Amino acid sequence: MAEMFSYDDDREQKSAARVRALESLLIEKGLITGDTVDQVLKYFETEMGPFNGAKVVAKAWVDPAFKALLLEDPTAAIATMDFPSGMAGAEGEHMIAVENKPGVHNLIVCTLCSCYPWPVLGLPPYWYKDPTFRARAAREPRAVLSEFGLEFDDDTEIRVWDSSAQIRWFVLPEQPAGTEGMSEAELAALITPEAMMGVARVESP
Amino acid sequence: MQLRFEHFAATSMLGAKDSPPRNNGKLYFDRWWERQAFGIAIALSKKGHYEWEDFRQGLIASIGEWEKTHEIDDSSWNYYEQFLLALERLAVTSGALSSEEIEQRISDFSQSDACKVHEQLPTQFE
Repeated sequence: MAEMFSYDDDREQKSAARVRALESLLIEKGLITGDTVDQVLKYFETEMGPFNGAKVVAKAWVDPAFKALLLEDPTAAIATMDFPSGMAGAEGEHMIAVENKPGVHNLIVCTLCSCYPWPVLGLPPYWYKDPTFRARAAREPRAVLSEFGLEFDDDTEIRVWDSSAQIRWFVLPEQPAGTEGMSEAELAALITPEAMMGVARVESP
Repeated sequence: MQLRFEHFAATSMLGAKDSPPRNNGKLYFDRWWERQAFGIAIALSKKGHYEWEDFRQGLIASIGEWEKTHEIDDSSWNYYEQFLLALERLAVTSGALSSEEIEQRISDFSQSDACKVHEQLPTQFE
């Protein structure tokens, strides 16, 4: 077995050595410091991800007044949360939350990545910008959702929302059964970007 | 509002040939060196050593070179190997480093035991 993977190990070692070489030279020349990479990545790991959207959904599940405000005036609702300053601007503005409930399932699509609500959902999956996905999601949403593992009976209405430069939609998914006693933080950890796009359910832990 | 450079840099790549791997709404790195390379590339551009668009074009070019010499479903594909190649080239052409000093340092590191230690990040960042 070891021999089979030796080539890959070797490539890994070489790539690692090359990155070490670059970084150490750049540090010696004062072009970066030892924690530059961590500073850059901290942004991606704490702000530019689905963390904020998950917090919004979790709060809506445990706080009926917040949920009502979120559905009525999402900008005002989000403004009440302690989010980084970028959250309310850039790509996050003009957001509208649509609620999944018994008999109604919402699906979000978009042709341009510029329409994607980054501050809430993080970076989009590769298929999201695929023209085929978008066309099929609008034409045959049940078939597309079935491919994601979501089956609905004929009585359930599937609503497809196309994000634009003016409005970025996101889904308020249904709270999974058996999670009623959980804290907001525990609930937020269950929520995925896919659930907030309507291509997945939130699963109980 | 003022857009963060990190935000601009990452979003400019999405939907294009140089789109980085991601998972569950986050950037996805398999190995620690991939994360380091990504951070260094953004940091150098943020500090003005080169335009981000120049880095992107270099990356698109290195990806194109790989595609010309490999099958489309070649399982040895690694996005960050091409990323690293583009970063090394631009570090040199931008004047930040010389190719000789990079080669010398790689050689030094390849011979040292320190490099033999596997460092690996968990696959998910939280």
